[in-house]
Amino acid sequence: MWGLRSSRTVILGLATVVFVFACFLPLLYMIALSLEPGSVARTYRVLLLDARQRDLLYNSAALGGGAALLSTVLGVPLGVGLAWLAIPCKRLFRLALVAPLLLPPYVVGLAWIYLGSSTGIVATVAGRDFLSEWTYSLSAAIAVLGLVYYPLSMLATEVAVRRVDARLEEAALLVAPPGRVFAKITLPLAAPAIGAAALVIFVLAVSDFGVPGLLRVRVFTTEVFTAFSALYDFGRATALTVPLMVLATIVAVVATALVGDRLVAGRRALGGSRPLGFDRWRITISLFGAVVLIAALAMPLAVLVREALGAESIATVVRGSWSAIQASIMLAAIGATLVVAIAVWLGYARARAGLVVGRLADVLFVVLFAVPSTVVGVGLIGLWNRAGPFGQLYATDAMLLLAYLARFVPVAALVLAASVRQVPVSHEEAAAVAGAGWLRTVFRIVMPQAKLGILAAWIVAFILSFGELGASVLVAPPGESTLPIRIYTLIANTPSSHVAALALLQAAVIFGPLAVLGLATRSREVG
Amino acid sequence: MTRPLLQFEGVTKRYGRRPALHAISLSVEPNEAVVILGPSGCGKTTLLRLAAGLEVPDDGTIALDGEHVAEPGRNLVPPHRRRIGLVFQDLALWPHLTAREQLDFVMGSVAVPRSARTERARQVLTLVRIEQLTDRYPHQLSGGEQQRLALARALVGQPRLLLLDEPFSSLDPELRSALRGELLRLQQSLALTTIYVTHDQEDASTLATRLVSMREGQIESVTSPAPIPRTASRAGERLS
Repeated sequence: MWGLRSSRTVILGLATVVFVFACFLPLLYMIALSLEPGSVARTYRVLLLDARQRDLLYNSAALGGGAALLSTVLGVPLGVGLAWLAIPCKRLFRLALVAPLLLPPYVVGLAWIYLGSSTGIVATVAGRDFLSEWTYSLSAAIAVLGLVYYPLSMLATEVAVRRVDARLEEAALLVAPPGRVFAKITLPLAAPAIGAAALVIFVLAVSDFGVPGLLRVRVFTTEVFTAFSALYDFGRATALTVPLMVLATIVAVVATALVGDRLVAGRRALGGSRPLGFDRWRITISLFGAVVLIAALAMPLAVLVREALGAESIATVVRGSWSAIQASIMLAAIGATLVVAIAVWLGYARARAGLVVGRLADVLFVVLFAVPSTVVGVGLIGLWNRAGPFGQLYATDAMLLLAYLARFVPVAALVLAASVRQVPVSHEEAAAVAGAGWLRTVFRIVMPQAKLGILAAWIVAFILSFGELGASVLVAPPGESTLPIRIYTLIANTPSSHVAALALLQAAVIFGPLAVLGLATRSREVG
Repeated sequence: MTRPLLQFEGVTKRYGRRPALHAISLSVEPNEAVVILGPSGCGKTTLLRLAAGLEVPDDGTIALDGEHVAEPGRNLVPPHRRRIGLVFQDLALWPHLTAREQLDFVMGSVAVPRSARTERARQVLTLVRIEQLTDRYPHQLSGGEQQRLALARALVGQPRLLLLDEPFSSLDPELRSALRGELLRLQQSLALTTIYVTHDQEDASTLATRLVSMREGQIESVTSPAPIPRTASRAGERLS
């Protein structure tokens, strides 16, 4: 059944080959290029000798560190609250708190520009402009990314706190007040997961292109983009990717070591009631959550609405960008489908792998997901822009699909691995004993049980693809444009009301699938 | 007549619509060793959790040393102010703390002076005979050693009442018998007031000065088993 010609071997082998081609080769190409004799010296020079590069390194590290810190400060109390407290309308509250993560960071960055600009709400209400200078600064970029990524810290904290055996807290509550129990028992036990989330946020912030690009903060990703698209300096762009890739690898290894198998464990949180004694925090945390929601979601959306209302006609704006909107939705849908079609097999293989292979796969997935979008874009161009069969795809929409595959297959594989792990191996063994082949077992036994995970992976892939900017802006064929590319290119020379209207439209398309996922999980729980 | 150390009056506890305890009234006198016996699901553990303050009664009141600590729907005194020790069925040893750190956490919480902690920890660990294992984490201890550490942790805060929720249920008969003997020795030497929950008849007959049988959330009978000689406390084994 498991021989070389078995359906299992063929399908998992094919998925692996596609994964290597789509996700690994662009990165490998960049690494190989940076290791060529001429490039090594250049890489070294870029990394160590230039004061400009040291500034770049400082800015990137400060952006990542600051965003990780802010996200953790915001996310941990909210995660604890969601895990422990009987907050009214908790499902809705959690969904709303997660929503900022689904907005492309540059959309939130755009809102903050409109908020803090010389004609923005703050200047209008205060009667003077004291924010516009700050808006284009490193600390503003940290604030925006912190507000976008805090849900990651919140969700990691909630899961980690739920997994702490309630009896450990009860044993401590017998002798210590709730605050001390939290500090000495709960927090240390949840700390690895919280730390891993902070590391992931660090990498995401360091590899983000949209926000530092908009707020004019010089970091590695913007420098890669400039080196390639403005200066056409492929070698410099390649050299600049090295520190980011090294960073991504270190963080992936540390994160995997910290959370271990739990990265894909997907274990159900402990049910039942939480220990008494923490209820007094309910009002404080609810209020804190409301403030965070206003800052991270309500205010950016309100600012965009206010700005969009200045447009002569929303319909005109939409009509003007209709082809980009259509292309974006269609490409994101096709991209998400392809991503899931490959990731489902990789996720299955990861879920059923042994300890060592599984951990290595986790590291690889996290590293690949953390590769900055502009690096992926440059790698794809270097790989596919050549004569012969490879070149046939270049300058077509297929490049955008390849970019989506390269960026999002790894994260979809992690989501799906978590989902498949919830299906006991014994279910497959029972099917095998009953005479079912592997393929039949996967389609009839495994996938039906993992269908919510598959839906979630598709929606995650759709949302990420729909908002993808850094790689798309580099690989999109001439004359073709997706909505993020159009927004990014319109910012410089179009009224802000038009840009805001398009950004709102983008948010609306993203929140649609989220509502579907919310309804799907609800119906499953009710059923 | 002495004042009861613990008093349940008409206590009812429900989980959803399912009643776990129904109108329980029970008094525990100082220095008593009460064993609560009954089948799984009869409400034994719920009774302990109510006494410890980890649950709130739906009806009735609970008093400790004459002070009302819980009334319907709310706890008047939180768990950490009740001075109660509890040995959980699964022990609930904190996995990230060594044996010594587990005791330090308790002593720090009940405000034992820093200067006295080392000596207090040594005494308690010696009492339960794991004084050589202070730097071990729970996963580095055997099953029996873990039970002893859980007992040490419950004792180090000098509780006025010690609750034990089937602490030996997962052990093999030989170890179980040995630890039962240890507990009896501690009960007698420290003049502890204990409530011990079990469904094991042998535990009950060895440890009880009073035996409470429960069934379906209610007390079925209260009896005194054959008397076991209970010696006076030995000063040398008291915690200073």
